[in-house]
Amino acid sequence: MNVDDPKLDRLFQLYGKCCPEVEPSANFMPVIWQRIEARRSFSLTFQRVARALATISVGLGLLLAGLNMAGAKRGIIAPTYADALAADHTVEKTYYTEAIRPIPPTDSIFAEYK
Amino acid sequence: MLVEQELIERARSGDADAFNQIVLAYRKRILGTISRHIGRPEDVEDVAQEVFVRLYYSLDQLRTAEVFEPWLYRLTVNASYDYLRRARRRNESRMADLSEQQVMIADSLAGGKQEQDEKQKGQVREFMNALFRHVSEEDRLLLTLKEVEGLSLKELEQVYKVNENALKVRLFRARQRVLKAYNAAVADGKL
Repeated sequence: MNVDDPKLDRLFQLYGKCCPEVEPSANFMPVIWQRIEARRSFSLTFQRVARALATISVGLGLLLAGLNMAGAKRGIIAPTYADALAADHTVEKTYYTEAIRPIPPTDSIFAEYK
Repeated sequence: MLVEQELIERARSGDADAFNQIVLAYRKRILGTISRHIGRPEDVEDVAQEVFVRLYYSLDQLRTAEVFEPWLYRLTVNASYDYLRRARRRNESRMADLSEQQVMIADSLAGGKQEQDEKQKGQVREFMNALFRHVSEEDRLLLTLKEVEGLSLKELEQVYKVNENALKVRLFRARQRVLKAYNAAVADGKL
């Protein structure tokens, strides 16, 4: 089988001639511009929403950072566990305990029971 | 090229009139290319409009005006693929398209030489559609671009972004399948 068979080329050429010319409708151009505008307005809306979300997130970030700094200055920020331990372990609050040693019964107290 | 490079440059810079002129120059060719790949005549214009919308939004990505035509063909091929993929998902078979075509041909047959010519042309198209069923949609597109629309291998290389040898192999195999189907049809007396 010869793939370069000229009858195949002739058949393709004939097919090309037999395909009808497609005429565009009167609405061809207006519809293209409508679609272009629709896509443009969609992308503009998307951009606006994305920009608004970005602005909101930056604002929230700044607000949280400000609150954090103000809280740190006033010292109302909840300390970490390690900070709390360190703060609690001051000299004033340190007291010593001795092991309780049972006192052996003396004769004076228990004498009558003997 | 059907338009001057300067016109393409103007369209790239956002000139709507230049873009309109490009559409006017290429719309028939693009409609013809799409109609050879898509069975449903009512969808051809829709796909062609999609090609030009994509062209509008991708003109700024075009490196030089010299590669405009391969670029436009690439957009056409991609839009046709997308359409065929959607059609496949909708489970539309080409058989349905063919029957629609046959109905249209049958409707147009009312006697007279012109109608006789139309009938013969319809038979050729139907026969070729039957042969093309032996290759994939992608290879059908490649074959028609090369053999019917006369794009060179260099141009196809730019359209498909693959090297010439790979294209030659694909074309060889596709031609082989079509020729085999053609010989079988001749042997069966269908031609």
